[in-house]
Amino acid sequence: MTQTDISYKKSGTDAIIAALMALVVFGPIMGIVLNGYQFKLSFDRVFVIVAIVFVGRFLMSTFFQTHRGKMMAFRYTNNNDGVTVLPPNHKSQMVWIIPLVMVIGLLVPFIASKYVLTIVILGLIYVLLGLGLNIVVGLAGLLDLGFVGFYAIGAYGLALGYNHLGLGFWSMLPIAAILAACAGAILGFPVLRMHGDYLAIVTLGFGEIIRLVLTNWQSFTHGPNGITAPAPTLFGLEFKRRSAHGETFHEFFNVPYDSAHKYMFVYLVLFVVVWAVLFIKHRLVKMPIGRAWEALREDEIACRSLGLNHVLVKLSAFMMGAAIAGIAGVFFATYQGFINPTSFTFFESALILAIVVLGGMGSTVGVVIAAFCLTVLPELLREVAQYRILLFGILMVVMMIWKPRGLVRVTRRGFARKEGVVK
Amino acid sequence: MSNATLRKTLLSIAVAGAATLAQADVNIGVAGPFTGANAAFGKQLWEGAKKAAADINAAGGIDGEKINLIKADDACEPKQALSVANRLVDSDDVVAVVGHFCSSSSIPASNVYADAGVLMVNPASTSPILTDRGLPNVFRVCGRDDQQGDVAASYIVDTLKAKRVAIINDKTTYGKGLADAMKKTLNGYGVKEVMYEGLTRGEKDFNALVTKIRSVNADLVYFGGLHSEAGPLVRQLRDQGSKAIFMSGDGIVSDEFVTVAGGAKYVNGVYMTFGANPTSYPAGKAVVKEFRDSGYEPEGYTLYAYTAMQVVAESLAKTNLDPVEAATWLHSHSVNTVMGKKTFDKKGDLTVSDYVMYKWDDKGKYHQLD
Amino acid sequence: MDIVLQQLVNGLTLGSVYGLIAIGYTMVYGIIGMINFAHGDVYMVSAYLTAIAIALLTFFGVQSFPFILIGTLIFTIIVTGAYGWVIERVAYRPLRNSSRLSVLISAIGMSLILQNYVQLSQGPNQQGVPTLLSGAIRFHVGDGFVQITYMKILILLIAFAGMGVLTYIIQKTKLGRMCRATQQDRKMASILGIDTDKVISSVFVIGSSMAALAGVLVTLDYGSFDFYIGFIMGIKAFTAAVLGGIGSLPGAMLGGIILGLSESLFAGLISSDYKDVFSFSLLVLILIIRPSGLLGKPAVEKV
Repeated sequence: MTQTDISYKKSGTDAIIAALMALVVFGPIMGIVLNGYQFKLSFDRVFVIVAIVFVGRFLMSTFFQTHRGKMMAFRYTNNNDGVTVLPPNHKSQMVWIIPLVMVIGLLVPFIASKYVLTIVILGLIYVLLGLGLNIVVGLAGLLDLGFVGFYAIGAYGLALGYNHLGLGFWSMLPIAAILAACAGAILGFPVLRMHGDYLAIVTLGFGEIIRLVLTNWQSFTHGPNGITAPAPTLFGLEFKRRSAHGETFHEFFNVPYDSAHKYMFVYLVLFVVVWAVLFIKHRLVKMPIGRAWEALREDEIACRSLGLNHVLVKLSAFMMGAAIAGIAGVFFATYQGFINPTSFTFFESALILAIVVLGGMGSTVGVVIAAFCLTVLPELLREVAQYRILLFGILMVVMMIWKPRGLVRVTRRGFARKEGVVK
Repeated sequence: MSNATLRKTLLSIAVAGAATLAQADVNIGVAGPFTGANAAFGKQLWEGAKKAAADINAAGGIDGEKINLIKADDACEPKQALSVANRLVDSDDVVAVVGHFCSSSSIPASNVYADAGVLMVNPASTSPILTDRGLPNVFRVCGRDDQQGDVAASYIVDTLKAKRVAIINDKTTYGKGLADAMKKTLNGYGVKEVMYEGLTRGEKDFNALVTKIRSVNADLVYFGGLHSEAGPLVRQLRDQGSKAIFMSGDGIVSDEFVTVAGGAKYVNGVYMTFGANPTSYPAGKAVVKEFRDSGYEPEGYTLYAYTAMQVVAESLAKTNLDPVEAATWLHSHSVNTVMGKKTFDKKGDLTVSDYVMYKWDDKGKYHQLD
Repeated sequence: MDIVLQQLVNGLTLGSVYGLIAIGYTMVYGIIGMINFAHGDVYMVSAYLTAIAIALLTFFGVQSFPFILIGTLIFTIIVTGAYGWVIERVAYRPLRNSSRLSVLISAIGMSLILQNYVQLSQGPNQQGVPTLLSGAIRFHVGDGFVQITYMKILILLIAFAGMGVLTYIIQKTKLGRMCRATQQDRKMASILGIDTDKVISSVFVIGSSMAALAGVLVTLDYGSFDFYIGFIMGIKAFTAAVLGGIGSLPGAMLGGIILGLSESLFAGLISSDYKDVFSFSLLVLILIIRPSGLLGKPAVEKV
């Protein structure tokens, strides 16, 4: 390793092979554009992309022959260590960060524009979803591709409860959570016998079934036409310009009507709920049930031999996750004011899963960061309108290759006997 | 000072100094699906709106101010529609929006525009819900599903004299709305449909459905949906030896319908409802020619978007660029557009439905029936 | 009676297409244990390639259907195979030692990339191919009839021929033996001198080729496609693969045909609105009774 020989011949061959492959792959699709039953040629862009591939591959190949490149490749193939365990008496240097985030979070609605506020609300909804799925996938190790189903149950719970039973935001918030948890239990029972990827497809099927029923059960859900959802109320005060029953928020406080008030209120409630969920999750992980989830993920057989009731443990994870998704759904419906089944497609499940994996499986902070990244990113990319989703996809792949274990590693405090405890 | 008053003040300053100062542009949003499965329609809206804005700007703009178009992609997802609507209103300070395409996007977005007092002129969403909620700022230059259903149903009953009608929809807000309207009017005429079912958007195999249509002996198939599904459907119908008449709405108005159906022989004899031919108006003819000269075929909703932009420009010009007043103005005045004179009713719908029947011929072209 | 028979024909052709695409899922899953979500989009790419090949061939004056079919098949299978190879090389190989979920996310990203890349290159329009082979056989049954187009018969023939060739490759050739060895124990196989990376690459190429076969047949039959068709087809084919027992080749074909038949029969006899609900419920039901699918090997639990 003392001397680095760079063989430009090797780089050259690599680059030529890559360029030829690029020509085969990009040539027909980019070079020959269908136009009815005829075609038009546009080979200029093929040459551009082939040239980019050639140069890129050449530089990459050369770089990995240098000393630094080799070091990088070596580190890359060996970065598969798992959880970082901190020393028992570890004191975090970041204690100030939680109050800081709280204060900033509370200030957001009063300084941000309505557009920014709506994005932040959406981000928080995805934080909730990510946290919910994190329990199922990250902690309990159950791959769930139909998580959007519970989200839909929450959202439609609010809309349908309002339209059919006259229930409002506040009463539906706990009911939706319970409903979603029950759905989780119903799905959970048959599913628990199955292994990893069979579970994935069954849950995927479950998510699709929910969406299809919502689409097709016209008389109940209004099908693809969608259904309106109520705005939240503050002690009975509505956030509307005019109200059919009673006073509205702006009349009561005698302020001019501003549609941003509704979003501010939704944001503040959501903010509190997210903190509550964060706190509950933080505690649960340290409780026996949380330990059981993780233990079951690591080795199911060992757990069963030790007398853990694996059905109960898995089911509780499923139901917890589902309940959180249900709550997220209620917020989504009230934020949007109108929902229809197109918001609950498989792509949504994939996005939530991407949040969990990208954030680092089981890591709470990672999920929060990833949720914001994945909701804010598409909005930032609006500038490049048509390349938006393409770049989003590329980033997903690149991020996974760059950090396959997610942005934030899971850390855990080590255990030691406390001083002064009777041995 | 709220945004609206601030804008008004700034505008009056701008108008006062109009003779000498450089102009502040007027921002108008064009919202639609520029990515995703409906991107083809988004392109139609954009091309139409772009051309209209260019033409208006070339003629001196609105009150001397140039139109600055802002493209907003909603991918036909309600979630994204809401967020682009807020963005248009908040960050881009638009006074008016031409869009959206899908009814399911237009409906939630219209609430945002109503709250912000932004004028919304919709070129393509035909769902009755859009205007039935009585928002003061919402207009559309296309028809409503129920109007379309009326025209088609009376044609089925009076002219085609079909007795056994199968109604198929694609389970989208648009397709379902159209199919429901058809069902309702048809039942009003005393004809009960023999079949009412949905197919899944994005699939291409409808053989099972086609066999079922055959089994109920339908003599007419009415499809509420877009050409992407109508093409394979009509082809598979013919491949299985069914001779039922095929009829659909304005969702199949695209030359691609012929391409996806597998050739002109499959679309021969297909009926559809669509707005009266815009080339029959002198102004429309010129615009269509200009489009074609520039190498773009103005199909489907292109001219609707053009018309919508003209309505926006005209109403803003008449009211000093105040969108709220422009909405009030539109309720009581009519606008001359490339698609003829447009007058709006209380809800913001066109007073005159301009839907007529069209029929596709064996060369893959559609013609207006008298 | 004629209607039921017609639905059986519909289901069988649809099912054989599902089966061909399911092979890609099942082989990849068998060998590296990942769900290749981009596979449906590889099928979509092959539909575009089919149309391009047909447009090129007719441009150069090839008129006879057999030549067009063979030319299109060769072109599409080669280029789609290249796609399979490149996707594996770029998006999955760097993640060989990472958790399966990372690969899954990478695959979802890849699926988005393919869809949007094709949309940007070819435009968002609906595309189609001209009808090259028309005509049908009609059987009279009772007072009704069953009509089968020549294209449908061709689909069945080619699909089963493709399956036969694949079975031969896997069972009898050296490559097939290496594939099976790698599937059983990748580490052991590499110790015994098998270049497992190459084997995995070739599995991707084979899977993509089968998807290309399906792409050519479906495109010729339905005549239309867009950049979005891969998604639904992918989910259906994946369901078929799981139904038959993921990892098992005959299982993929069987699962495809069961799925196709159940969809057609349910849509035709009961309701086309709920046909997908029915297929997914059927899947759940089968998995409850047989947790490893119809022909899958039960997972052995170490104790």
